[in-house]
Amino acid sequence: MALIELVGVSKIYGVGGVEVHALRSVDLAVGGGEYVAIMGQSGSGKSTLMHILGCLDVPSSGAYHLDGADVGTMDEIDLADVRNRRIGFVFQQFHLLGRLPAWRNVELPLMYMGIRSRQRRRERAEKALEAVGLADRSAHRPTELSGGQQQRVAIARALVTDPAIILADEPTGNLASDQAEEILTIFEGMHSEGRTVVLITHEPDVGGRARRLVRIRDGRIISDEPAASGVGSAG
Amino acid sequence: MTWGQTLRSAFESIVERRMRSALTVLGILIGIAAVILTVGLGEGAQGRVNSAIASLGTNMLIVTPGSASTGGVQGGLGSASTLTLADAQALASPVDCPDVAEVAPVTQHSFTLTAGSQNWTAPVTGTTPAYLSVRDRQVTSGQSITETDVRTEARVALVGTEVAQSLFGTSSPVGRTMQIGNVPFSIVGELNAAGASASTNQDNVVLVPITTAQAELFSQAGPYAGSLSAILLSAHSSTTMSLAYQEADSLLLQLHHVTNPLQADFTITPQTSLLSTASTISKTLTILLAGVAAIALLVGGIGVMNIMLVSVSERVKEIGLRKALGATPATILRQFLAEATALGLLGGVLGVGLGLAGALGIPHVIAGAAVTVSVPAIAGSVLVAAVIGLVFGVYPASRAARLSPIEALRSE
Ligand SMILES: Nc1ncnc2c1ncn2[C@@H]1O[C@H](COP(=O)(O)OP(=O)(O)OP(=O)(O)O)[C@@H](O)[C@H]1O
Ligand SMILES: [Mg+2]
Repeated sequence: MALIELVGVSKIYGVGGVEVHALRSVDLAVGGGEYVAIMGQSGSGKSTLMHILGCLDVPSSGAYHLDGADVGTMDEIDLADVRNRRIGFVFQQFHLLGRLPAWRNVELPLMYMGIRSRQRRRERAEKALEAVGLADRSAHRPTELSGGQQQRVAIARALVTDPAIILADEPTGNLASDQAEEILTIFEGMHSEGRTVVLITHEPDVGGRARRLVRIRDGRIISDEPAASGVGSAG
Repeated sequence: MTWGQTLRSAFESIVERRMRSALTVLGILIGIAAVILTVGLGEGAQGRVNSAIASLGTNMLIVTPGSASTGGVQGGLGSASTLTLADAQALASPVDCPDVAEVAPVTQHSFTLTAGSQNWTAPVTGTTPAYLSVRDRQVTSGQSITETDVRTEARVALVGTEVAQSLFGTSSPVGRTMQIGNVPFSIVGELNAAGASASTNQDNVVLVPITTAQAELFSQAGPYAGSLSAILLSAHSSTTMSLAYQEADSLLLQLHHVTNPLQADFTITPQTSLLSTASTISKTLTILLAGVAAIALLVGGIGVMNIMLVSVSERVKEIGLRKALGATPATILRQFLAEATALGLLGGVLGVGLGLAGALGIPHVIAGAAVTVSVPAIAGSVLVAAVIGLVFGVYPASRAARLSPIEALRSE
């Protein structure tokens, strides 16, 4: 069974008023260790799909099975645990807490994970920052970091609980190309460590570096094939 | 997260938002201090008014001869002759009238007083020492007339301040002699200044033993010399007034052999005018007080509510992020609960401190102001601040914590 499995997932915004069908009966299966890029025009439903995959939002209909478990039946505590340990989410807008230094941002998931020792949390946070090349910036606040560095702090935060799945919504969308390159290298590193990586992108060359490319238009998947570099296996 | 982590993070969050935290604390502080001070000032004033009224003797019943229906009261003191010293002694019996505290028989007539070349006219009251406690009067210099004086028909007198001043100027009247009519009395004490009420000037009085008055003064004064102008009774408290009234009424009916209460030859009048004035003033003050306190609480409460609502709504995004990173709604709630509690406690403690400091300080700054420290006001204002802080700090947070992380993250 696939690690991630969506069956007939739809998402309708604005029920009761003007309805927007952001996703229309999407079926998608992603196996463990895959590296998938999702592409599509603005407004096609990519972020909506990603939020559902990350258990940050719930589908209007359809089923989501994560590692065989039905996400729809989970309560808030189970969901919190999935978000905390199983999935690392990287937002386009970083979403860092500006008043905390980098390492304090990175340790947040460890607090919710229940690691009591501050020392232990700090060690793990520093290690994650080192993995994204920011060992020397752990005491800096986000406002003292460049956009690329902020995104790397956010990636370190997604990585710190060692989740099997990394989801990234246009992680390079706000970055200059050299910074984008650094970020992509990190994702490739995570893929080679055996993690499942799903990322959204607008740029064809970013999409081309994944192993599998899913195209989406108007809330429907219109193509799903190995990417140009396509060595990976689908499904 | 553990409670330790929660408290630590609440503390950090408060310190990081210094300005906002300070404003929240200030809002709570001022609300609580305002309530404590307004209620304190109000109760202080109420206390003063009540004790001023109590000093007029609100527990007093006046028995006068004649029945109200036949116009005996209007006929003036002493115009009917139905009350006697024996009545007064009977009323003083703790067996027949257990709720009557003290009994003071009174005979009264106006006389010309003479001391040296000074003349003055004042009502002279023949009575017993109990009169002082019934009317709540004190002897400020010299000594009171005694039961012995009453028994021996001593020619001794107590004078009010106005009488003393009129006859002796600024020098003390105690030990001096004055003529009442043409009978010499020696003055043994001076009464405290009690002021004038609507009907009587309580400082223009002379008190002499009732026996002396009957034997030496009033025998010349009129045909009813043996009878009393009135009997003053005091109840133990204002709540036992009606019991005392009933006991006195039935005892006097029995002594006077009257079977139909409508034909009673005496009238018992509670000090209703004073009582009703007292309760009106007291009621007005209470309403004023409650109103001021409610407004102070409302203003403080709205301040706290605003700051809490703003500070939660600008943090909905943060709540969404924390949920995305694995926080449960309970964890989020605990964090906001800890923050609201810490701010509330800080504001509460400082507010109570400021209120108490004000209560102690104000009487020194404003002469004549009395501030009562009211425990219910303190408890009530702290409780309201706590409830408002929790409701408006924790309730919106708990709603935000129930949103999906993405909904919360999208909020502005
Ligand atoms: N909260 C919302 N309420 C109503 N409509 C929404 C909401 N979020 C998204 N939509 C709509 O759903 C559709 C899909 O949005 P989504 O954000 O998934 O697009 P996207 O593919 O990520 O676009 P972009 O590339 O610009 O990020 C859009 O038409 C959008 O207007
Ligand atoms: Mg998007």
